[in-house]
Amino acid sequence: MTFTQEKTLAAQVRADFPILHQEIHGKPLVYLDNAATSQKPVAVLNALQHYYQHDNANVHRGVHTLSSRATDAYEGARDKVANFVNAASRQEIIYTRNASEAINLVAYAWGNSNLQRGDEIILSVMEHHSNLIPWQLLAQRTGAVLKFVELTETQEFDLEHFKSLLSDKTKLVSVVHVSNTLGCINPVKEIVELAHHYGAKVLIDACQSVPHMTVDVQAMDCDWLVASGHKMCAPTGIGFLYGKLDLLRSMPPFLGGGEMIADVFFDHSTYADLPHKFEAGTPAIAEAIALGAAVDYLSSLGMDKIHAYEAELTAYLFQQLQQIPELMLYGPKPDSKGEGRAALSAFTAGSVHPHDLSTILDQAGIAIRAGHHCTQPLHRHVGAQSTARASLYFYNTREEIDTFITSLKEAIEFFSGIFG
Amino acid sequence: MSLDNLRDLYQQVILERYKKPRNRGKTDPVDRYQKGHNPSCGDTIELTLQLNDAEDQIQDVKFEGEGCAIAMASVDLMADALRGKTTAEALEMVQKFQAMMKGEAEFPSELRKLNVMQGVAQFPVRIKCANLSWHTVKAALELAKDVQPAGFISNE
Ligand SMILES: Cc1ncc(COP(=O)(O)O)c(C=O)c1O
Repeated sequence: MTFTQEKTLAAQVRADFPILHQEIHGKPLVYLDNAATSQKPVAVLNALQHYYQHDNANVHRGVHTLSSRATDAYEGARDKVANFVNAASRQEIIYTRNASEAINLVAYAWGNSNLQRGDEIILSVMEHHSNLIPWQLLAQRTGAVLKFVELTETQEFDLEHFKSLLSDKTKLVSVVHVSNTLGCINPVKEIVELAHHYGAKVLIDACQSVPHMTVDVQAMDCDWLVASGHKMCAPTGIGFLYGKLDLLRSMPPFLGGGEMIADVFFDHSTYADLPHKFEAGTPAIAEAIALGAAVDYLSSLGMDKIHAYEAELTAYLFQQLQQIPELMLYGPKPDSKGEGRAALSAFTAGSVHPHDLSTILDQAGIAIRAGHHCTQPLHRHVGAQSTARASLYFYNTREEIDTFITSLKEAIEFFSGIFG
Repeated sequence: MSLDNLRDLYQQVILERYKKPRNRGKTDPVDRYQKGHNPSCGDTIELTLQLNDAEDQIQDVKFEGEGCAIAMASVDLMADALRGKTTAEALEMVQKFQAMMKGEAEFPSELRKLNVMQGVAQFPVRIKCANLSWHTVKAALELAKDVQPAGFISNE
């Protein structure tokens, strides 16, 4: 058995995910849409339930026992997130609804007051709409200009092209760590170093990396990093922004309201210190606490172990996919150990449109994504109108990949009978 | 795999139309033009209509674009069905098709070819694929002569 981790990981954790144990159209559910959102373990569901059943109260607002319990749990979760990404201070973690809101926060609070006409923002062609539209809007507000790093022949981030775009005009670089479509893992350390050389700030969209590998913001030296809880076993409605302390201090508030103030008068106010300055209004308390529980859960499994197991799944997935001649696979190929890319694959299957493929696989209990995965410009760039995407997480098994591959072949056959 | 369900959805006629559409192209002249788009998946069709001089009858319907088998078969079958119909009849057919997607109607025998799309009603997430062309033709017919369409019509 070459599959060393499986007995110890997928088999070990599947019982933690009640949702996985159901049938869809009479077939066991095979959930391969993890890049869209992950499933939630019992520990996270219990954290939500426990909070509402025992501790529910508003945070930072009362001296009574429930309020103090809620506040402790809410702030305790912040410590967990800070540790998880190795932030230097807990004040560097701002809760947001999701990664999109975190990017918008930076685009407004930092972008509005730091960018001017002619300044340049460098993105890549593989960005998720969430890491594109906020900058388009900022460019419209300020007259800043967007530049796009293109792809290498293997459909990875073109570092040489990036270097050629950098100049003294570059004020911001905002790039994805792991592409949700190509699956490539971008050289963020080099990107940050090169950008800093020109005095530009760097935001890393870590939505697809934080759930799957060890991410260390200090080692990366990025200025901001964003992620969404729902892709890392936590509920929807909670995500976070990491930012370097001095930088966050220098930024004006984003949203105004309760919670984010120090002293309020009729005509002006002073603002709370970090992180509260950026958390206006009653936050998603239960969700934040559950994010803490998700971080505990992932840490108890070990991010290195999760990554190693996913690499084995990746190797197996690609070995199988590459044997189907009708398929066109996007992004770089993994090495023989499954390293060098994420555990997902976007592909097209000859004459079978991704939408039709997804319907056919759904009949077999298999959930995959079909469409442009919120990377429409990238799809245009690589000449695909839409793709199908299978994306894995640590609870997926080799047997599930087999089921997927069998059904995929059947679907291709079903259509090629007509096209043959 | 529950192939029976799938055969209901992907009737032979649908697959044949997907493979070999009969109404691809552009009408000559183009009396109405409208682009239709499904933003969640990126499917896009460009519909052109040729009308009679009084502009109350459809003489030809053609389409270009890319999409799934359901969307492509739907637009191709629609083009056949609308040829020769008055604009008032066409708008009624739009309503009937949308009702059929809810399982609430079917076409009479002279238009029975459209009934092969009935299976889509069992697949709620795919209804918008089938409806795309009908949404689009409705927008095209409601456009006044020589008015440029505002953009694409979205079926969301
Ligand atoms: C790479 C990437 N960036 C950003 C996002 C946006 O995440 P959210 O919708 O949770 O804000 C996603 C998820 O869809 C993603 O995969």
